[in-house]
Amino acid sequence: MDSPARPVSHRRRFVIGLALAALLGVGVAAVLLTGARQAETNERAERRAVVTLSALTALLERAGGGGAQAPEPPATGLGEEIPSPPEETGGMGLGDELAAVEQGTEAPAADSGGAVRRAVARFAETHPEVTAIRVLEFDGITLAASTDPRDQGEKQAPRRLAPDEKSFYDLGQKLRAAVESNREGAEGAARQPEIRVARSAGALSLAAPIERGGQVVGMVQMDTRTRRDPAAFAWLPFLAAWLGPVIGLLLLSLALGERRWPLAAAAALLLLAALWLYGRHALTVLKEERQASGRAVAARMAAEAKTARTLLAEVAPLGGRPAQPLQPERWDVDEFRQPRGLVTAAGQVDEGKLGELAGADAGRMTRSVITLGLLGFALLAFVGLGYAARTGQALVEYRVAYAYTIPALLGMLVLVFFPFFYGFALSFTNANIYNTDKSIYDTWVGLGNFASILGDFGIAKRTAEGLVWNYQNFYYTLIFTIVWTVSNVAIGVTLGLTLALILNLKDFAFRPFYRVLLILPWAMPTYITSLIWQGMFHRQFGVINQIIQLFGGPAIPWFDRPFTSFLAVLTTNGWLSFPFMMVISLGALQSIPSDLYEAARVDGATRWQQFKSITLPSLRPALVPAIILSVIWTFNQFIVIYLVSAGEPGGATEILITQAYKIAFQQYRYGYAAAYSVVIFMILLAYGTWQNRVTRATEAIG
Amino acid sequence: MKGSNQKGNNRRLNDEPRHWPLHIFLVLMLIVTCYPILWVVTIAFSGGQSLAISDIPDNATFAQHVRAITPWPEHWSLSNFRSLFGDQPFARWLLNSVIVASATTVLGVFLACTAAYAFSRFRFPGRRVGLMSFLVSQMFPGTLMMIPLYIIVVQWLGLGSTFTGLVLPYCTTAIPFCVWNMKGYFDTIPKELEESALIDGASQATIFFRIVLPLAKPAVAVTALFSFMTGWNEFIIAATFMNREDMYTAPVGLRFFVGGFSQQWGYFAAGSIIAAIPVMMLFMFLQKYLVSGLTAGAVKG
Repeated sequence: MDSPARPVSHRRRFVIGLALAALLGVGVAAVLLTGARQAETNERAERRAVVTLSALTALLERAGGGGAQAPEPPATGLGEEIPSPPEETGGMGLGDELAAVEQGTEAPAADSGGAVRRAVARFAETHPEVTAIRVLEFDGITLAASTDPRDQGEKQAPRRLAPDEKSFYDLGQKLRAAVESNREGAEGAARQPEIRVARSAGALSLAAPIERGGQVVGMVQMDTRTRRDPAAFAWLPFLAAWLGPVIGLLLLSLALGERRWPLAAAAALLLLAALWLYGRHALTVLKEERQASGRAVAARMAAEAKTARTLLAEVAPLGGRPAQPLQPERWDVDEFRQPRGLVTAAGQVDEGKLGELAGADAGRMTRSVITLGLLGFALLAFVGLGYAARTGQALVEYRVAYAYTIPALLGMLVLVFFPFFYGFALSFTNANIYNTDKSIYDTWVGLGNFASILGDFGIAKRTAEGLVWNYQNFYYTLIFTIVWTVSNVAIGVTLGLTLALILNLKDFAFRPFYRVLLILPWAMPTYITSLIWQGMFHRQFGVINQIIQLFGGPAIPWFDRPFTSFLAVLTTNGWLSFPFMMVISLGALQSIPSDLYEAARVDGATRWQQFKSITLPSLRPALVPAIILSVIWTFNQFIVIYLVSAGEPGGATEILITQAYKIAFQQYRYGYAAAYSVVIFMILLAYGTWQNRVTRATEAIG
Repeated sequence: MKGSNQKGNNRRLNDEPRHWPLHIFLVLMLIVTCYPILWVVTIAFSGGQSLAISDIPDNATFAQHVRAITPWPEHWSLSNFRSLFGDQPFARWLLNSVIVASATTVLGVFLACTAAYAFSRFRFPGRRVGLMSFLVSQMFPGTLMMIPLYIIVVQWLGLGSTFTGLVLPYCTTAIPFCVWNMKGYFDTIPKELEESALIDGASQATIFFRIVLPLAKPAVAVTALFSFMTGWNEFIIAATFMNREDMYTAPVGLRFFVGGFSQQWGYFAAGSIIAAIPVMMLFMFLQKYLVSGLTAGAVKG
């Protein structure tokens, strides 16, 4: 601004704009990619650990089952009595177990579990990365085997669990419950995880149920170290995708010169190309990561299968019958113990399944590229077309003014305007309490919420007992809200105006006294008023019913029928809202010059004529805004409804905003409630526009 | 009215209606107005937790019925107030309310004063948009804001059951009214004062803090009292955001006494009196400002 003659360089602006836009787009994409790679690396480590855990579980399920001894009597004096480890009989376990299962008899209870302990010990020896294995048997609440360094000496397995190990036992029971409920598998019921994975830095703790003969009999918990390989930020592709288009534009600008629109088009195309290329690159990287995962898991699976076979032969030299074959291809499972199916039985990576995953990746990538592209274009246009320069200039020139306003504006932006638009966006989703961490893409339902709110005309049903209203229906609530608003405002205006007219009479005795006492309801906090009236309308002990009984009437269950419930909330709101109208009217009445009335009297006007032609028109400028205001207040009178009737009976006295609140905070359907609120906002907006036109019209007449 | 019309001709100079029927009407209105207040006072000083002023036996006499609706305690007792501050956590809730309302006032008024000053004194790009945006924000319905605010403040920022989580939304609710109110007052302070200070070499900040703010003291006081009342009386956000009992504000705590299956009306009544008296007195003192501010806002909106 100091040198207005300085020519504007479109070239420079577009180069800077492109650099910033590409930095934004490619930068965010690169960060997302690094995150995705990290997630895949973590998942790979987890999947490998789960394969090991599955192998261990399979081994234990086959090795367990108990010794050749007769079943011990149900443990009674447990705890002190440590069964002697029956080393010499351990080898018989598997055969007996299988025989027992095949004969349909129960597996021997109160397993002393020598085979299990040996299996666990050998497994720990062959897996140096596994730091601890603990096996829980539900029968007798026993720690059947453990390689945990803490379970030494006194606490050596097998033993009864100590009271402070309750969480360990509870975890086992939780997994058992999960397996059982998943097996019953009610249609539509959410599956529950059957494997628990607890992650900590450099280590994983996994737990899975042990099943024998179709029953969950215990749990195995395995702690394992994992290699931490943090995915490094790949600088080279990022720098290439960021600086490539910038250099490209610089070179192109040699040809294009200072021509504005060709420069803009070139910059936009270059930005798009950079983002698209980076997206392709990201997809390749992700696919490679997934393939690497598949290979690593397949390798782990083969290794575990080999070890497991050796161990099985070792701990359970079979008496005759072959053990159930191991199924290593079913070891790569998700937390519900459903095979992922990414590795085939032959130990190969299943390319078809991988392709499906890659397709999902590509879909997500496309959405990200579109979003980032739009943001990038906005930034490019902002800088390139000179808005940034103008904004910057204004910021410098009016820096004092902005410094004063920005704190308040920032607060409003973050806590008013952003939530407002976020609420708008939410109204197109099925967000609820469980999925608020998901992105809006994943919960998007379009206009579905609005369709189900506005499209449901089932406002009443014709039944044998006559018409039955559906109190949950939007249109019922809307009609009730309108009736509520109109009756309240009518009561408020009538009472307020009447009282004001009386108090405005000349030489009226005790005027200040009346005035102060009549304002009290307005001064009282609304929530206290509401709670008081709620108490006074109590059926048995409430004062209102006692007054009715004093005159011989029956006690009324106020909140059991829609009409009496409505009367109760109406009384409460009428009580707290008339003083406002009274004060406004009184103020307006006092400002009417008294010589107007004197002149009218001289002309022989009656009191009614005076009221109609002097008082009412003079009141209008004050009364109309007050009525508008109180319509909006009453429409939004949350507290009275919420605290006095709470919508009883059955939502019959719910108004729109209490209904929206209940949907949000009692049913936790945030998306639906947001749509409901948007509809309310539209109604208020329509009302606001309409009243604005009407007041303009009245002003024009006045 | 008709009666006075018929006599209209000979009472022309004094044709006011008769006062005594009006006095009867007003006294009836006063009873309706004051009864709930007297009722609360009665319950609070009754020393019990019952909703009823006195028990009505099955075959009660007329006098017993009348006794049951007379807002006068059977025995005067301060025990409800004593245990409110003894074995009930009401002192803690009151303190929470004081903290939240004071923080709202300080932060809200500071932000509003600076913004209002800029809107009043400077002409800059975005001024109209900014002012209008404050007005428009008043139109957003509470519940539409509640859901996203809850997700942002409680679930994203993790500020549920904290003072910050209440103060921030309260401030932003109070700011628009405060800005318009303060701007209106700043507009009436003559600009010449500041210009002469500028010539004397005062900085912009000095002018604002040393000259303008002291001059605007009455408006600042009124604005501060209003934002204090906003924070003190707010119920919905506090009831939704504060889940831990020790973080309740007074309104949520009072609801806690009589909500759900709890029927401690004595504590509720005593607590209501303590919570309501300061704001009711403030209100009586401020109502003329409130009325003018509200109607001015309505006309502009």
